[in-house]
Amino acid sequence: MSDAVFQETTAQPRTQSVPLAHLSLEIGHLYMEDYAAGAKRLGEHFAEVRVWADAVRASAARRAERPRISTCFLIDDYFSRFSTPAELVPMILKEAEEAGLVIDYLARESACATADRIELAESVMHRLVESPPPGSHGSRPPVSRTGWLANGERSPSTSRSALGAVKGWEPPQETAARNHSIFMDVELWSEKDGRRLWSCPFLAAVWQLARLGLLRHLGEPVLVPTVWEGADFPQEWDRLPPVVKLSDTKAPFSAYRTCSLMPNRFVAVEDAVRLILDQTDVDTEALRQVAERSAAEGMPVPAAVAQRATYVFYEEPGGFSEAEET
Amino acid sequence: MTAAPVHPARSVLACGEVRTCLLPSLQALDIRAAAQLLRLRADEPVRVSERPSLHALSPAVLTGVDCRLPSSNGSKVRGVGTVAARAALTEGRLLQATAWFSVPATGPDLRRPWGQYLVRPGLVEPFGKLPEQATADGVLRGAGRGELDLGVIAEGLLGRLRRHALLDRRVPFKSSPTRLRWVARRGPAGERASLTSFTLAEGGLRTMELRLPADVPAVAAAGLCEDLALHDWLLTTVQHMLDNSRLGAAGGAPVIETLQPVVVHLLHLWMPRAHVDPALAHLWDVLEERPGFSRQWENLSRRIRDRLALQAVAAPQQALSDAR
Repeated sequence: MSDAVFQETTAQPRTQSVPLAHLSLEIGHLYMEDYAAGAKRLGEHFAEVRVWADAVRASAARRAERPRISTCFLIDDYFSRFSTPAELVPMILKEAEEAGLVIDYLARESACATADRIELAESVMHRLVESPPPGSHGSRPPVSRTGWLANGERSPSTSRSALGAVKGWEPPQETAARNHSIFMDVELWSEKDGRRLWSCPFLAAVWQLARLGLLRHLGEPVLVPTVWEGADFPQEWDRLPPVVKLSDTKAPFSAYRTCSLMPNRFVAVEDAVRLILDQTDVDTEALRQVAERSAAEGMPVPAAVAQRATYVFYEEPGGFSEAEET
Repeated sequence: MTAAPVHPARSVLACGEVRTCLLPSLQALDIRAAAQLLRLRADEPVRVSERPSLHALSPAVLTGVDCRLPSSNGSKVRGVGTVAARAALTEGRLLQATAWFSVPATGPDLRRPWGQYLVRPGLVEPFGKLPEQATADGVLRGAGRGELDLGVIAEGLLGRLRRHALLDRRVPFKSSPTRLRWVARRGPAGERASLTSFTLAEGGLRTMELRLPADVPAVAAAGLCEDLALHDWLLTTVQHMLDNSRLGAAGGAPVIETLQPVVVHLLHLWMPRAHVDPALAHLWDVLEERPGFSRQWENLSRRIRDRLALQAVAAPQQALSDAR
C-alpha cells in the first residue's frame, strides 16, 4: 500500500533496524559473590576466559575475513547488590585488561527486566508461544499462566483416575524426544511481596535476544548502548545506564550470533535459556532484517533463534567452592 | 545438532475463521481506549486508522498446534505449526477476532524443533502430503473432535478481550455473533484474486472460498474476510431488528425504542473496502453485483429513516389530538 497517496503513520508501523556485528562475545557472566571473592579471583576468571576468547576469534575468522566482534560483560545487580559501580567497574576493567581482554560493552542484569522505563522481560513474556504437545488443537491458553515453561508434557498431577482408582506414576514426556525424554520445566518468575521476580534464565533469555538484535519496543530499538564519557562511575547501580559503551570499538553491541564464555556451573541456566528462546515468537520484522543482512554478508544465520547462540563452559578457576550454584 | 535448512515453504491453501460481535460496552470506545483494549503485547503497537472510519487492529498472536487437520473425508493428516490470530475494533463498536493459517502441499514426516516453526508464523505443516480438497472442505464444515479448531482460537481471543477491565460488559441492544469461515486456494503470482463462493448458512455461519495469487499474503485475505464479515453482520443484525421488532404497522414509542440503537450505533458503520488490501478490494464488486450488499443496506437504512420520519410527522398530531 506504499504507493497510496493517503497514508496514516499509526496504521503502518515500522520496525527500526539496529547496527549488527558478526559476533557478540560475552566474556564472563558472574554473580555478586564472585566479585566478593576479590580482585584476584576475578583475574583468574579473565585469564581462563582469555584462552577461549582467542579460540572463538580464531573460529570467527574462518567465517569472515575481518570479523566484527564486540565483547560484552553482564553484571548482576538484579538478584543481589554488591558494592557500587564506582568501586566495582574499575576493578573489572583493570583485571580484564591485565588478562589482555577489552570489554566493549558493560550491561546491568536488571536492565533485562526494566530498561529506560520499558518492561522488557514482560514484553518477552507476552511473546512466549508454548511448544504444543501432540493433540493440541487450539484450546490451550496461549501464554503460560503458571510462570513455568516446559519442553513437553508434565507428569499428570492427579493420582486418581476417573473411577477413583489410584494410578501409578506416569512419566513426563519431552515433545521433541529422540527415543527417550529429557524433560525440563523452567520457572520464569516468582512472586514475592506482590512483586514479580524474574528468574535468572528468563533474564538471560532477554539478554540473548538483545545481543541478537531482536528486541524492539513499539518498533524502536531497546538497550541502546550509552557512550561513557564521565571519568568516575556512579555510586548507585541505578544511575549506571543499562548498557554502557566503554571502548572505541566500531563493532556494534548486537550481532548475528552470540558466544558466551562462562563457568560450567551455568550449563543448566543456559539450557533453560535455549528452552525459552525456542518458544519465543520474536518480532517478525526484526527477524527478517537480521536474516537478510546476514545472508547478504555471506553468513546466513540459522533460522531458529536458539541456534544462533553458542557457548564455552570452562572449569571454575582455582577450585573455589564458596561460589557454588545459587 | 545442525539446524535443518528452512525453505520458505510455498503454501497451497490458507484458511481462517472470523468471529464478529457487538463490543460489550454501553459506550463505543474512543481511539485511545480501542488501542488499549487491543494491546495484546506490550512491545508491539496497535495499528490505528482514523480514515475513512475508526479502525484499530491488534498485533497478531500465535497459538501452537499439533493435531489432525480438519478433513471432510476422514483422512487423518497431522499438522504442526502456528495459527495466527488478531482482533479488530471498528468505530469502537464492532469487535472481531480472526484466526488463520497457511499450509504447504507437503511437509516432513517428523516434528522439527519448535523454534523452526516459530520463525514462520501462521504456517502449519502437514506430515506428508496435504489432502488439499478434503482439508479445505473440512475447514468450511468446521473442526471435528481433536481437529485443528480455528473457531476455538478465535473465540479464545474474543473471550479474553470481552473480559477486559475497560469494558462494562453491557450492550446497548441485543444481537447475535456471526462466524465466517474461509479458505483460499493459491494461484500463480500475478493472477487476479477471485471470489469463488459466499454462502449464508444457518446459525450465523457464513462460508467463503477464494482464489489468491501467491504474492498476496494470507493476512490480506484475513483482512478482506474481516471486512466482509463486518458488513454481513450489519446486514444480518439490522434486518433481524426490523423483522423481529414489535414494529409491524404500529407507531409511537416502540418504533423509536427499536430503531434508535440502529441509528445511534450502526448506521454510520457501513464502509465497504475501507481497510482492505488494494489487491483484493475488487472482490467486493462480486457481492455488490449479486446479492448486492450495499443495495440491501441502503434499502434497510431508507426503511428505518422513513419509519422515523413518519413517527416525527405523527407525533405532533398525536400531541394535538391528545390536547383536545
